Amino acid sequence: MSNRTLPRILQTPAVLLLLVWMLVPLSMTLYFSFIRYVLNSTIRPEWTTPSLSNWRGLGNYKYVLEAKDFWLAVSNSVFIVTSILLITVILGLCIAVLINRSFPGRGIVRVLLISPFFVMPAVNGVLWINMILDPVLGLQGLAVGGINDLIDGMRDFPVLGHFFSMWPQVQPISFRGTNTSSIAVIMMVAWQWTPFAVLIFMTSLQSEDESQKEAATLDGASAWSQFINLTVPHLGRSIAIVVMIQSIFHLSLYAEIEIVSRGNGNKNLPYLIGEFANNNIGAASATGIFAVILANIIAIFLLRMVGKTLMD
Amino acid sequence: MATVTQTSKFSKIAWPTLAWIVALIFFFPIFWLVFTSFKTDADAVNPEFLWRFTPTLENYTSMTDNYDYWRFATNSVITSFFATLFALVVGVPAAYAMAFNPSRHTKDILMWMLSTKMLPAAAVLYPMTFLTKNILGIYDTHFLVIVVLCLINLPIAVWMLFTYFKEIPKEIIEAGKMDGVSTWGEIKDILIPLAWGGIASTALLTFIFCWNEAYWTVRLTTIDAATLSTLIEGNRAPEGLFFGRLSAVSTAAIAPIVVLGWFCQKQLVAGLTFGAVK
Repeated sequence: MSNRTLPRILQTPAVLLLLVWMLVPLSMTLYFSFIRYVLNSTIRPEWTTPSLSNWRGLGNYKYVLEAKDFWLAVSNSVFIVTSILLITVILGLCIAVLINRSFPGRGIVRVLLISPFFVMPAVNGVLWINMILDPVLGLQGLAVGGINDLIDGMRDFPVLGHFFSMWPQVQPISFRGTNTSSIAVIMMVAWQWTPFAVLIFMTSLQSEDESQKEAATLDGASAWSQFINLTVPHLGRSIAIVVMIQSIFHLSLYAEIEIVSRGNGNKNLPYLIGEFANNNIGAASATGIFAVILANIIAIFLLRMVGKTLMD
Repeated sequence: MATVTQTSKFSKIAWPTLAWIVALIFFFPIFWLVFTSFKTDADAVNPEFLWRFTPTLENYTSMTDNYDYWRFATNSVITSFFATLFALVVGVPAAYAMAFNPSRHTKDILMWMLSTKMLPAAAVLYPMTFLTKNILGIYDTHFLVIVVLCLINLPIAVWMLFTYFKEIPKEIIEAGKMDGVSTWGEIKDILIPLAWGGIASTALLTFIFCWNEAYWTVRLTTIDAATLSTLIEGNRAPEGLFFGRLSAVSTAAIAPIVVLGWFCQKQLVAGLTFGAVK
């Protein structure tokens, strides 16, 4: 056996398995996206079995592009992913800098901070939307009620009471509404993934060159300019990695959306596909192909950006 | 000089305090979940008992009756364990070959593997249902969940292992070759003992991802192979009627993994950044 054959044989199972896993379902999706295929139809029973004779060409794609929910789902997907990325990177940077010093109980702080990352998405959704954000029974409802009681109490004050009586009642926000549920999703996912960013930025900060900073201090550079000119460039690679890993996970975000926005009109691409897949498989497949294209655009961009640094 | 000492004294107290506050805020939702799990369903939604209440274990003792917790938990353990095992069995030889006998294509293969993670799962939802239900007849079986969990985590497992293996000096492996050790012997007697820590962290992280997976496990199971994700998602919105018992079952679903996570948080960084951040 030559030097080359054995390594190839060792890699084959992994490569082959992933190849089958990727190609077989994807080619089926591609096929279904070009035919008329529904699960239930009393008028056209021949459409309920996949067959080339039901060829529809680009009809499914046209149908999806004209569906009113499609662009909502696309823009929502992009909105949710970008917001989460922005929040986690900025917040992660601040917290990492904050705890990158020695102080009593630092180990415990680390453990407390990283915990949300290990919470399963289903529990994350259930916990936030019920126990915390519910407008009546959750902590939000209780907090709003408390504030209103406080304002009510102040109305009885002499002089000042007049001022407080002009204040409106605070209204709780229902995070199950169409417009607000993406905010709820962003909140809960950012809560879960900020710790991940903190952990990585903190590790990276520890390898920062301290002598450079000391020199900068002697030269009279302010803390802020040190942060912008020395720390942020040093963190470049870890920021890129945080962005890449999170994009991988958040583009296929599903459990949280399903739990928060079930049936309220708010959706991202995976959720829209799930809705179509209840009956119209052709449309679901065409949407799937659009999702693959969107993911590929982002993947090419990210892998170009991050891939090189990973290989060094 | 006086001002300098003053600010440093201030910052010695202020920044750590702020760090503690931030950590407590982040941990608060988990604390609240565990806290609520000790309230009865009625107390849990009653503002009067927000902080002071009579703690009860009722939610935990009746968890089996209310939710059939143990069946779902067993499924989670079985599927996550075997998926992790298979990911290692397939991943270790592949990562070994890539780290010690890299070819021109190794980088491309690794990149391609990572790119399979970007394929949106929802895009192949119906074909997977169709294949497993109508053609292979393995819908809602442990076997299917194990295979799927193994495959979706394989790219990250290979990447992590590759990173750890790359740090082992090549000379050690080559010395083994000189002594006429077989490839299997090299993996078993040289590589695995040397990279034990890396393999263990890969296993832990893969196990965590398997346990928390919530798309395929929900979509490809109904009853027999359903995991804890399915259980929780199925009870998502009782409109406050069952906050107590829902908190208890959620706590039980996340506790093993959160505790496991505490122990491997250091390795997590090396693993998830593929060794690029140290």
